Amino acid sequence: MAHVVGPEVVKYACTCGLLKSISSLYFCRYCCQLRCGFCVCHEVDSHFCGKCCENLPSSEARLKKNRCGNCYICPSCQQELSTRIGSKGPSNPEDPKSTPKKMYYLSCLYCRWSSRDVGIPDQSAATGGWPDRENVNANRLQEIIEMYKAMVLAEKQQKEKDKKKQRGKYLSYTDRTGVTAAALRKRIGLPVDIQHSLLKAKPKEPEPAIAKEDVEDLPEELLTKPVNLTEVTTIEQRLLQIDLQPTTVEKLFPVHKQLSIKRSLRCRSCEHNVSKPEYNPNSVKFKIQLFAYYHVPEIRIVTVEPLRAGRPSELIIKFTNPTQHQTTITILSLVLSGDENEVKEETGDQPSLPQEKQPPSLSSQPSSLLSLSSRQPSITIKPRPVSQEVNADVAIPSSKVILPPRDDAAEYDDSGDTHNIQDDPKLVVWRKSNKAFVKLLVTPKQGLALNTEIVAGFTMQHIYTNTIATTVENREPDKHDHNIRVFLTLGNLVGFD
Amino acid sequence: MPIYEALSDKLTVVLDVGSAYTKFGFSGEYAPRCIIRSEVRCKKTNTIRRIIDYENQKDLYDLLVDFVHVLYFKYALFSPKDKPIVVVESLLCPTLFRETLAKVLFEHYEISMLLMLPSHLVGLSTLGAETALVLDVGYFEAVAIPVCHGLPVIHAWQALPLGSQIIHNNLRALLNSDNTGINNLPESVIEDIKVRCCFVTKQKRAAQLSVAKPEITFAPEVKYPIGGSEIITVSGKVREKVYEILYDEDNDHLCLSTMLLDAITKVDIHLRNKLAENILLIGGTVMVPGFKARLKEELHKQLKHDRYKKLKISSFKFHTPPCKENYTAWLGGAIYGATELLSMKALTREKYFKENRLPDWPNMRDNFRTNN
Repeated sequence: MAHVVGPEVVKYACTCGLLKSISSLYFCRYCCQLRCGFCVCHEVDSHFCGKCCENLPSSEARLKKNRCGNCYICPSCQQELSTRIGSKGPSNPEDPKSTPKKMYYLSCLYCRWSSRDVGIPDQSAATGGWPDRENVNANRLQEIIEMYKAMVLAEKQQKEKDKKKQRGKYLSYTDRTGVTAAALRKRIGLPVDIQHSLLKAKPKEPEPAIAKEDVEDLPEELLTKPVNLTEVTTIEQRLLQIDLQPTTVEKLFPVHKQLSIKRSLRCRSCEHNVSKPEYNPNSVKFKIQLFAYYHVPEIRIVTVEPLRAGRPSELIIKFTNPTQHQTTITILSLVLSGDENEVKEETGDQPSLPQEKQPPSLSSQPSSLLSLSSRQPSITIKPRPVSQEVNADVAIPSSKVILPPRDDAAEYDDSGDTHNIQDDPKLVVWRKSNKAFVKLLVTPKQGLALNTEIVAGFTMQHIYTNTIATTVENREPDKHDHNIRVFLTLGNLVGFD
Repeated sequence: MPIYEALSDKLTVVLDVGSAYTKFGFSGEYAPRCIIRSEVRCKKTNTIRRIIDYENQKDLYDLLVDFVHVLYFKYALFSPKDKPIVVVESLLCPTLFRETLAKVLFEHYEISMLLMLPSHLVGLSTLGAETALVLDVGYFEAVAIPVCHGLPVIHAWQALPLGSQIIHNNLRALLNSDNTGINNLPESVIEDIKVRCCFVTKQKRAAQLSVAKPEITFAPEVKYPIGGSEIITVSGKVREKVYEILYDEDNDHLCLSTMLLDAITKVDIHLRNKLAENILLIGGTVMVPGFKARLKEELHKQLKHDRYKKLKISSFKFHTPPCKENYTAWLGGAIYGATELLSMKALTREKYFKENRLPDWPNMRDNFRTNN
């Protein structure tokens, strides 16, 4: 959708202080706040292969190292490989009538690389059985990992034992439970029944690697033979096969395709989802989509007069109400630091600790399955101040604009509006169904250089009607005043004529 | 359900953020899942920005947020929230960088535990050895730190700005004399020329490179195509000469070989021979053909000089790690991460927010002696 609202000349300040266009913002209905990709918690919903659209459970994806078992990418150009059929003689050489045996090989349609280039034998099944190579050092590395595991475990056990010993010095259980065996042994002068530390089973140590004096020499052929660049791999090709890192193209082997994911986004302060896709990889729909585009009035620039320093110019912007409820828009002057102070009082200078926060009530969770797991509440990050500078003043109108609810049928209705709204003719220039053109006066600040980019800003207050049924008795939908700081990039300053 | 239990094991991410390339994978595995450039697409300007080109802490924070997002949601494919992480870092990593990284991980991604491991020490674990002289040649600098009996000897550290960055600059300058329009080439092309054409030559041939009338014939030249329309010539002399900058002594008479010898000089006399016979080279730059052989030749050459004669070293021995050099440090982190060390030594989120600082070796608070 970015191209519909782009170029990004109208930006909304997210609650976290970043400026984003409306298409990349979310609106949490529970907090009544704007959220963006930076200030929500991202979660992985489902794994799938982008080529065969196979949906994998996360445990299986983990087993397969986040790669698709059937799809491969080209080791040369990283595009997807396709399986091709190459017939290879009749299945029965004595009988000329028998159908030719089908053999399959992998081929890249972009760079013409094929599995035959590197000598991988053709397979008789289309789905593969393509050989996977193992790390040559796997055994040695496994040994080393085991050794370190055992070493650290021994250290840990020793520590715990030491702790126990220390405790034994000060606490005696004999008073309460009678004489213990260990205490009795001590009392009658026998050695305490603890194994000597040297006798204990020590972790088996694999022999450490042995350094060698002779090192691999510079290959002589580099000095004499001309280099054929098409045979030497690039660094990208090498890093695709990390454990081998082949230097020549005849050692390139097909690589399993990396899986993709669907993400759900969760508001960090109330733990509700703001976006949750459908599970099926073929579906582009969402289960939950609290995009700001559906909840917050959209602003677009219609026209702007040439901007001159110190002179007022007429700016016409269009407001569109995307909701099913009537809203009223009030334009207020921009407060750059006000919000910030407000939040500071709430959270203090340090990000609040997870313990301080109340765990979210499960009853209001839309997706209770996820939240039932041992999910810790998120840490609230202090919002940062808006970094955008404003170099034009907007004359704040005294009246308000009423926007009727969105009505899809009205788009095709030429009979005119049925709404009877008394508008301030100085403010509202034109209106149709849920849209209104509003005229504002913008004055770029004095003393700006020519061609300076002019950015104007104001606070848009709109009435948001919350449709979440809070309680049974309260049938009236909640109405909130919601303030959003909006920044308009109006273009460059021009000189006087 | 044994299968289920095996899977419910916490997956621990092991991360090694390098200046040029970032190694990313899981503990207990033998190779990283991916090695990608340490760069992100800047949303404001829509250009690719390297992490190391950060302007200030705020800028670095934003870059790292985007970068870690890519790592988790493109490669790890799970949410970092409430998961542990192992970070492999150089002992000489700037404080600003490591603290910002910790802040991003704890505050923005809400990880449960962070274990920072020094790259020189953990790189050694791939060998199963405890004493070696570790030389890490990366993008910005080459750092040599001896590790004796499992302890990095920090006072003997040596660092010089000899890494792939200086090689790239050198290659650009050398190519400029033969070709036009080299200055505008992006660094990735220069890197590609370096990787595919250049190598470290032998000591005897290197001596001839600076002579007016060399007695050797240089390696054959390479025609390198640029963008399908232009061709630049990479002459044999350039191919051999590019890496010489690592071995030429600078104004202070320092180079890669003296670094190693100086580090050996600074440790205890009984350990010197052992270190010389246990040299481990890590970092992407050491993978170039001929690097090790030349380094050995240079070390022997330097031994004949007066300043190193007292060392009484007879031979230098090099280790071959069971992996490629560019991810040796990462592999060490993966080995450490597979152990119980994580639960014993890692910094937890609660502790981080309580103390609001990251333990660090120069800080005296973290350097007390434990009476074990």
